[in-house]
Amino acid sequence: MTDRSHVRQVVHEVITEILPSVRAEDIDGRQHLKDLGADSVDRVEIILGVRERLGVTEPLASFSDLPDLDHLVAFLTEVTA
Amino acid sequence: MSVGIEALNVHAGLARIPVADLFAGRGLDPARLDNLMMETKSVALPFEDPVTHAVNAARPVVEALAPADRERIELLVTSTESGVDYSKSVASYVHEHLGLSRRCRVMEVKQACYAATGALQLACGYLASAASPGARALVIATDVSLVDEGAGYTEPAMGTGAAAVLLGERPAVLDVDLGAFGVHSYETLDSARPGPRFDIADADRSLFAYLDCLTHSYRDYTDRVGGVDFASTFAGLVMHTPFAGIVRAAHRKLARDHGVADVAADFTSRVLPGLVYPRQVGNLCSGSVYLALASMVDHLGSTDPVRVGLYAYGSGCASEFYSGVVGVDAAATVGRMQIGDQLAARCRLTFDEYRQVLAANADCLVPVADRTVDPYRWGEFVDRVGLPRTVLACTGVDGHHRRYDWIKVGGVR
Repeated sequence: MTDRSHVRQVVHEVITEILPSVRAEDIDGRQHLKDLGADSVDRVEIILGVRERLGVTEPLASFSDLPDLDHLVAFLTEVTA
Repeated sequence: MSVGIEALNVHAGLARIPVADLFAGRGLDPARLDNLMMETKSVALPFEDPVTHAVNAARPVVEALAPADRERIELLVTSTESGVDYSKSVASYVHEHLGLSRRCRVMEVKQACYAATGALQLACGYLASAASPGARALVIATDVSLVDEGAGYTEPAMGTGAAAVLLGERPAVLDVDLGAFGVHSYETLDSARPGPRFDIADADRSLFAYLDCLTHSYRDYTDRVGGVDFASTFAGLVMHTPFAGIVRAAHRKLARDHGVADVAADFTSRVLPGLVYPRQVGNLCSGSVYLALASMVDHLGSTDPVRVGLYAYGSGCASEFYSGVVGVDAAATVGRMQIGDQLAARCRLTFDEYRQVLAANADCLVPVADRTVDPYRWGEFVDRVGLPRTVLACTGVDGHHRRYDWIKVGGVR
């Protein structure tokens, strides 16, 4: 498994844990977490969750400008490389 | 020497709307109520403004002092992001209507929801310096809400009101641990009030900054203070509360970072007592952490002196984690202010009444040369306030000079 696909799998796992109504196969990388129905607390929990599982220590502020899930995965892949 | 909070009171507007009613009226998704953790939202009546909020919060604190002690209030600071003039401070009006001594420094500070804590720390340092032995300082955080339906889920979370904090050498409420603090600040645009009628906010940027700053200010605190253990040093944790749900998330992060075994139980015992009032009011801006402190003192139920940790965050951004000891007389001192009773006594508005009030409140901070405000136009709501008392009301603006008068509320006109 490539780094990127591993990161994407972790992101999908965390999203479906925090948002039980979302199915992993329905997640589109061009969506923002808001598009999946995540409120601001859900979004905090999702970012905290993926940081923890991937051992990422980048500040939360680094995640403020990411426009969609593809950019989130790319950013996480870059900082975990 | 001891320096800290001698007395504390909150005035959170004269009206309220249940958050569930606001959700229903706006067509918001009720599934989001759980993460918001809000019960009611404070609403100002249209004759309330940052000056009346401040005076109505501070008056019981000032009047409880003996005349000689009142004369020793030598510093008055209003902390607000709801200024009424670019030059003239809210504090100047507050000084007049509280009848404070003219031998008093008067000023206003601004750093979003952090500013009151910055003012408190500077005032405590000044008092501790004994430059004027026996002096007192009055810091009043006061703000009004400008959000409407355009703010989405922020609208139910925004409160209105003021917290008045009397500082001195007999700190019955909170003996501030001098030198025990941690700070973290940097520039960002997460939320702001670019004009007198609207706010802007980036929810993710703001909540992420709030959480980053909590991590870093707490780390700075532990760097400065030896032997701190997150799980055992603090009997209570009091946090700036934009809405209670983010405090729950912030505690969960901090608790996990520090190896707390039962995070939910820890939240219930050490954080939830400080959220009782914020859940009934909404975000009180820089007064929010002192609303939470009042809630903690009124609901912690401790009969021994206990140390609490306090976290203040203001957009822009600046933050601080500090601590102090809640003394054995704290519950009686804060209890005399009947904050819970005041909150319960706010006039309950229907959604249609709320919209009517909101429209009239929209011009509260807009600078105009002349305006008439008739408090008795809102007599129906005034009569429905449950706790009869006299409050300061704005009656208008005359040649850019804001005018005020005392009115009776609670069906006793």
